Amino acid sequence: MKRQSDYICWEGKRDVKIKWKLTLSAKLEILKYAAAVILVMVIGAIIILSQGNSPVEAFRAMVVGSVGSPSAIGTTIRWATPSIITGIAAVVAFKSGIWNCGIEGQMYFGAFAAAIAGSALSLPRFLHIPVCLLIGGLAGMAFAFIPAILKLKLHVNELICTLMLNYAANLFTEYLVFKYMGFDASELADAIATPDMLPTARLSVIIPKTSASSAFFIAIGIALVIHLLYRYTVKGYELKQVGENLRFSRYGGINYKRTFIMIFLLSGFISGVCGGTEMTGAFGKFRPAFALNLGWDGVMIASIAKNNPLAVVLISLVWGMLKAGSFQMERTTSTNRLVVMVLQSVFVLLVAIDYEALFARIKEKHQIRRLRIQREEA
Amino acid sequence: MEDLILEAKHICKYFGSLTANDDVSLRVRRGTVHSVIGENGAGKSTLMNIISGIYKPDRGEIYVKGNPVVFRNPNDATKCGIGMVHQEFMLFPELTVLENLMMGFETKKYGGFLDKKKAAKDITEIAEKYGFSIPLEKRVAELPVSLLQQVEIVKVLYKGAEIIILDEPTSVLTPQGIEGLFRAIRYLTRQGKTVILITHKLKEVMEISDDITVLKNGVVTGNLRPEETDEHGLANLMVGRQVLFNTKKPKKQIGEAILTVEHLTAPGSDGTKKVKDVSFCVRKGEILGIAGVAGSGQGELIEAVFGLRTPSGGAITYKGEDITASTPRQKREKRIGYVPQDRISTGCNVNGSLIENCIMGYHVAHKFKIPWLVDREEAAAFTGDVVANYQVKVQDIHNKIGTLSGGNIQKTIVGREFAQNNDLLIIEDPTRGIDVGAIEFIWQKIIDAAAQGVSVLLVSHELGEVMELSDRILVMYNGGIAADLENTPELDEKTIGLYMLGGKA
Repeated sequence: MKRQSDYICWEGKRDVKIKWKLTLSAKLEILKYAAAVILVMVIGAIIILSQGNSPVEAFRAMVVGSVGSPSAIGTTIRWATPSIITGIAAVVAFKSGIWNCGIEGQMYFGAFAAAIAGSALSLPRFLHIPVCLLIGGLAGMAFAFIPAILKLKLHVNELICTLMLNYAANLFTEYLVFKYMGFDASELADAIATPDMLPTARLSVIIPKTSASSAFFIAIGIALVIHLLYRYTVKGYELKQVGENLRFSRYGGINYKRTFIMIFLLSGFISGVCGGTEMTGAFGKFRPAFALNLGWDGVMIASIAKNNPLAVVLISLVWGMLKAGSFQMERTTSTNRLVVMVLQSVFVLLVAIDYEALFARIKEKHQIRRLRIQREEA
Repeated sequence: MEDLILEAKHICKYFGSLTANDDVSLRVRRGTVHSVIGENGAGKSTLMNIISGIYKPDRGEIYVKGNPVVFRNPNDATKCGIGMVHQEFMLFPELTVLENLMMGFETKKYGGFLDKKKAAKDITEIAEKYGFSIPLEKRVAELPVSLLQQVEIVKVLYKGAEIIILDEPTSVLTPQGIEGLFRAIRYLTRQGKTVILITHKLKEVMEISDDITVLKNGVVTGNLRPEETDEHGLANLMVGRQVLFNTKKPKKQIGEAILTVEHLTAPGSDGTKKVKDVSFCVRKGEILGIAGVAGSGQGELIEAVFGLRTPSGGAITYKGEDITASTPRQKREKRIGYVPQDRISTGCNVNGSLIENCIMGYHVAHKFKIPWLVDREEAAAFTGDVVANYQVKVQDIHNKIGTLSGGNIQKTIVGREFAQNNDLLIIEDPTRGIDVGAIEFIWQKIIDAAAQGVSVLLVSHELGEVMELSDRILVMYNGGIAADLENTPELDEKTIGLYMLGGKA
């Protein structure tokens, strides 16, 4: 292909000029997040005050509980880890315009499969962990295949389908635990779990006496891989185009059916891996309904991060801090931990507001009023 | 003192940093045809949207019959007697003409029930008064385009419009249809109505207008009457330079058939047969034009040929290979390029950067050095080539393509398909809604490509474009080929127009 030398020069100049300059939209974006954080704090203070507690104390407890000591940092990392992975699973799907809300369910399957692999297989350590994670990923992927094929062949809406399958996954894995362990139904609910995983299948703890495991590095690794996938590879380019304009990508020669299935499976695989890291890292055995909305955290985080894999890591750290801090807050003050969940949701809402459109509307209203006043004066 | 029915004074409208209208003033006399012309992006549509109450001006006043008015919404404008017929018809295809006409202006009886009889009577009266005859009981989906336009005009008349704004009304019509429209316009003005005509077709402007206002880059560059100027003078005011309408056609060799389509049938989106037993071939270095009234099956034919639509019968052969069932990806690998009609929803990804938009298809047909990695240098270089060779005005190739004007987006798409060394180019309405300068440029690129041995299948709803560029012309009517004509200087628009309507010359 022929190249134009004058163009290359221009390109060189561009690099110098752009490097450190934030565009106006990026600046607005930062402003928006800052405003959201401040607003969330104000709203939080009001809620805590309304319950007769001291917001200052509550905030102090949150800071102490999230970064105040090594064990606090450990708890933060422990909760940031699954948030990153489920966040990335959501990013992969949402970036390509697919509403995979079944991350939670795919995670259950991944976790169950990984827990079984961790207790039933005996392998050397360097093999056992990857095998557990791989089996977890494949299980999540297999479960994601159901909505994918239904959507492609029968045009079943994937949002509703994945949403409903979460319940199926939750209950079905519980059933599988019964099946596997041979329990009868009279057993205590707390005791329902798969056998302990072998030590060779457990990730090492990175901060002693906490459940912060090396799963954190796996999570960062996944985020980085997905970031590189979208930034540099042809496949990532195709995935993004399919999400942004399906007609255009068909027209451009992208096999959208294959791409579609791939996205679903990849998202399911990552969700399954998250189940795997939860088992090999924090839990060590599968208990039904262990996840407590971890999948939904992923969906929220992806929407706050505007589907940017690196931003997911940052937001997840904040998420982990909030979670760790909220436990401490509940222990040391009389403020309820649920306040934090309310605030998390408020934050999602605030970030989702289209401020530009809002300002344009206010400006327009103002202008009409001005014109009308002018007219009345005339 | 002139009898001004509408006056706009010092209208300014900004969209962010873009100035769409800058101190634009317009004086429309009662009972005249006033044409507003200009390139795309010159601010015609913005001005009309302000006059019809869709946008609010940032500065400036509007006077109707000498009284200052402020429109909060299009209904306010309607109440002042301003009605707009949009380029894309705003009718509900599943409702009857009568129901469409009543929409938003319902005649009611017994406090809440539709009084269709009275409405039908009123509408028939109005239609007769202005010389339109429209079937009120038919569903809109069954009517041809020219009738739909009449329905739209009757709709604004029914709503009591004194001033009728027609936005690019002739772009959907055959030559015969245009004549009919012009007769109707003259009749309307004789009855005291005022017509504002937005168009970029200079010949029509000269034929029908009483007054002409020329816009360029949001500024008025001329207020004149047709007898004071000619087409070239108007074009000068529009683009600010001399425009050559006669493209240079080099002598060239036309080779053997490269694409052969035999007995092709294809369904439309509604499942009915839209392409019926179509056969033709495109030869090396030939520009084959396909003319026809909009909706005669051209779109479906092209999609079937490119693989976006599955044919229900027939065969497509390309360079001796059967490609009837192959995907767009395979077609791109075989060096077939396609410039789609709908540049926004099919031709580009408005949220993607210029680079992302330029390497679409390229990444399939040409592959990068390492096939699974996007070579950023190569991608930027290819994009740079497109930008430089196709005169795309953009500050930075990392900008979103959606921030460019229609003409520049089109040049990017044309550039992307042309710069990939394709052997066959399928081009659909390459100059729809873009300015004169860009039209001329794209036409020349098509002719140059054919001169270098590229085969071109050109579909256009502008008959003039097909006649200007093609070596051979197929006329489509109702899904079939109505005529296959050599494009000789003797061939005239009237003959083709008759074929387009299903008649015989």
